[in-house]
Amino acid sequence: MKVFEVNGSTLALSLFTDVSNSKDLLDSMQTGTLEPEVAFLNASLIPDVFPVLAAAHKSLIAKARDSLTTRTLHSELVYNYSGSKHITESLKRCGISECSTYVLAARFNASPEEMKAVEKLINGKEIDLEELRGRADNAQIQKHYKISGLELGISSLADAITCRIAARDAM
Amino acid sequence: MENKAAGTNGSLILLKQGAEARVFESTFSGRRSIVKERFSKKYRHPSLDSKLTLKRLNAEARCMTKARRLGVYTPVLYSLDPLLHTLTFEYVEGSSVKDIFLEFGLHGVSEERLEDIAMQIGDAIGKLHDGGLIHGDLTTSNMLIRGGTNQLVLIDFGLSFTSTLPEDKAVDLYVLERALLSMHSSCGNVMDRILAAYRKSSKQWSSTFNKLAQVRQRGRKRTMVG
Repeated sequence: MKVFEVNGSTLALSLFTDVSNSKDLLDSMQTGTLEPEVAFLNASLIPDVFPVLAAAHKSLIAKARDSLTTRTLHSELVYNYSGSKHITESLKRCGISECSTYVLAARFNASPEEMKAVEKLINGKEIDLEELRGRADNAQIQKHYKISGLELGISSLADAITCRIAARDAM
Repeated sequence: MENKAAGTNGSLILLKQGAEARVFESTFSGRRSIVKERFSKKYRHPSLDSKLTLKRLNAEARCMTKARRLGVYTPVLYSLDPLLHTLTFEYVEGSSVKDIFLEFGLHGVSEERLEDIAMQIGDAIGKLHDGGLIHGDLTTSNMLIRGGTNQLVLIDFGLSFTSTLPEDKAVDLYVLERALLSMHSSCGNVMDRILAAYRKSSKQWSSTFNKLAQVRQRGRKRTMVG
């Protein structure tokens, strides 16, 4: 687990591989009984933590202004990370599905106890966030965010994603 | 209303104040950043003012990121705040082409460096124009050279727009030509080198150059006589 400071709040991130209970997690999340509330992101679309922090920043501002697009602050994080305006599609692609095995868990302003509880929720092996880069599915990222080879000539994948997250509402 | 520091997570240091915006230095999620705030114009009707400001803010964000998609270095956009009218983007370490060229004027021109910079400028503008993006304010102060890599980074897309008209591209080049003439005449004919690189980079160079010849005759504004 690692904690990042975003806009006066904190975001705790834990990365898991070989997750075996995605279906249960998805079910309890959809019924709203997940305790503590946490965001699960499809980690293969995440080459670096920075775009997640940019999405978190955006979510916190929307929350502070009472202008969340989705139901909760944590689902807003998943939606914002997608860089798209299509909510259902965003949650499907950037959240977890029944068969996900590689998951990034994120919680805003989490206490150490809460993050312990989150780790207990997930049946999987926790790994270091440094592994994000090597494990990312670059082809899938390029397809989802429509990143051309031309752009990659001057930009990292993470920066290209960050630009799309930031500029979404201007499009 | 929350204060600005809370909106951008970090203290703000004013760097520049222009007619349309204020530019601050700050940090964004641990990275050094620039915050550009478009302020309201008190002489405009409030509802028109906020509409215009927001429209320009969004246009700038779109053009900045479009340039990157076309393979031209611009700062990475970190966030856009439609309520505070701010853009937050990457802080590029380095100096402006303006300062480098003025330095050449004072201490002699480094031919190699000049050639490299002119080549990068022509190449970048060619890529923008072929992608249908007009920068709108091509001056040497809106071009940075990243320290270490010597990579050209274009900034300030506040006057940018999309167009495929040779006229718009020619005026874009003409503005740069005039700026170079007035600021950097001691560097020799930089514009010729830029245009040579532009010609290599843009497939549509021919129609743009034809228009540029016409624009030079009449100036930036089209004459509206009769």
